[in-house]
Amino acid sequence: MKWYKTKAFYLFIPSFLFLLIPMYGLVQAFIQSLSTDGALTFEFYQRLFESDRFLASLGFSLQTAFTSSLLSLVIGVLLTRSCYQLLESYAPRLIVWLPMLFPHFVWGYMVILLLSESGVLSQLLQVTGVLSDSGGLPTLTRDASGLGIIITYVWKEVPFVILMLLPVYASIKPEYYDLVKNLGGNSFRQFTSVEWPHILPVMIETFLIIFSFTLSAYEVPALLGTTFPEMVSVLSYDWFYGSSWDDRPLAFAAMISISLIILVLTLLSYLLLSKRQWKAMRGRLK
Amino acid sequence: MIRNKRLFYVLATLLFLLPTLILLLQSLSETWRFQTGEGLRFQLDSYSVLLSDPKLWSATGWSIGIGAGVLFINLVIGIMTGKALATLSFKGKPFVEAIILAPILIPVLAIAMGLHLFMIRIGLADTVLGVIIIHLVPTVPYSIKIFQNAYRQLGSPMLEQPLILGSNPLHQLFTIELPLMKPAIRSVTFLTIVISLSQYAITAIIGGGRIITLPMVFFPFLDTANSSIMAAFSIWFSMIPLALYVLVEILLLLLPYTIMPWRK
Repeated sequence: MKWYKTKAFYLFIPSFLFLLIPMYGLVQAFIQSLSTDGALTFEFYQRLFESDRFLASLGFSLQTAFTSSLLSLVIGVLLTRSCYQLLESYAPRLIVWLPMLFPHFVWGYMVILLLSESGVLSQLLQVTGVLSDSGGLPTLTRDASGLGIIITYVWKEVPFVILMLLPVYASIKPEYYDLVKNLGGNSFRQFTSVEWPHILPVMIETFLIIFSFTLSAYEVPALLGTTFPEMVSVLSYDWFYGSSWDDRPLAFAAMISISLIILVLTLLSYLLLSKRQWKAMRGRLK
Repeated sequence: MIRNKRLFYVLATLLFLLPTLILLLQSLSETWRFQTGEGLRFQLDSYSVLLSDPKLWSATGWSIGIGAGVLFINLVIGIMTGKALATLSFKGKPFVEAIILAPILIPVLAIAMGLHLFMIRIGLADTVLGVIIIHLVPTVPYSIKIFQNAYRQLGSPMLEQPLILGSNPLHQLFTIELPLMKPAIRSVTFLTIVISLSQYAITAIIGGGRIITLPMVFFPFLDTANSSIMAAFSIWFSMIPLALYVLVEILLLLLPYTIMPWRK
């Protein structure tokens, strides 16, 4: 068997080669955010954090990404925990995963079609007489508070949360629920003492994936955002492709700052789940 | 449970099924103006306008080509690494797992910007291969995870048996592993193609405006086309994962020990 085991390590070669791509890209972005004409400089970070446009953008991005991730997670958990038995069968699962058939920005267009000032919802409300004119509905898309972006992300990520949580819920032994019931616990008690410890690691993992994606993705904010405040991704893309080459290092600095935020958050959540607990959980749910 | 069931169907229909149906309906009828008392007026012009755009067809071709390339590399890396992670136990395995999943968390925009100069230097900028390589970053970690779970579910006895019987790894892959991992292959197909189709910014950066994929036609369309055409375009987007899914399904029929659907 030893021969088999050592040989099997060759299986890691493709993934190792793959990992070189993101690593090299990130390191290059880091280097280019720190150098002018080959010399080390912090000029770009300084310019970045003195720019009101960037600071407003950073605050807006963090707020939008956090709200979207948290809402997706809460709604996803509520849906999964009340319906996971149903979701084991084929047709309901298919309905829930329907939004996954579309790219994010296509779903973003759907939000525009349904919820914009002249959208389907507004039209229907006018027909039924709830609204008197097209200005009656609050601005839900291309608004300064990021509502359109949040709605799109939540709508699109809830199925993803269900996808991540479904195997966990399916693996919880029904005896645990019986135990809580026997001891007189209600549904809330059942959630805190049985489900919570099971789902916590996956919830944190899912939150991190959604948060880092919504914080740094370009497509949806480009479609549904306004010009001020704009998401950091949109701002960086403009700097990267803008008229002036001088702004390009700013794009690198902005994206590296975002990456650092995600890195710190990831490390924090690893610490939060102590190593032993993390391991025990993984062992139990897989 | 009954109450839950009804609630679930109402919610799922309202949130997930209805929007898709509205999109389909809008693509098949003229732009809606319900507030003026107009009803639905069915038409197929939106599709004929959309499909008569030559840019759409070349972009669809590029998108499918890139998607297929990304999918193939994903399957290779996913199967090899997934197998290694599921069957080997070694020191530092949690660390390796974390590193392999890390690219999901790193902003892919940062990676694409960082790689841009390097891609120009080695001649991969503005090429299909360059775009395929950058599309691997947000897809491969998911594929590895899916195949790791699939191999774990297969279990080691299933993998040791062919070894004892003297089969070589490739033979084992096609006769045992792939036929038993069809659900995983389907999930990877789906996820990979949709993620690859969703990339506008990184395709624009690495493709340099020369590789025009579907998202790059979609964005400018928003400013000029009416909602019927946009809805038709949205439906067109969902057709591509479905088409590739059918293609993969046909390829899966070629695997040994497959019962052909018409012989059931």
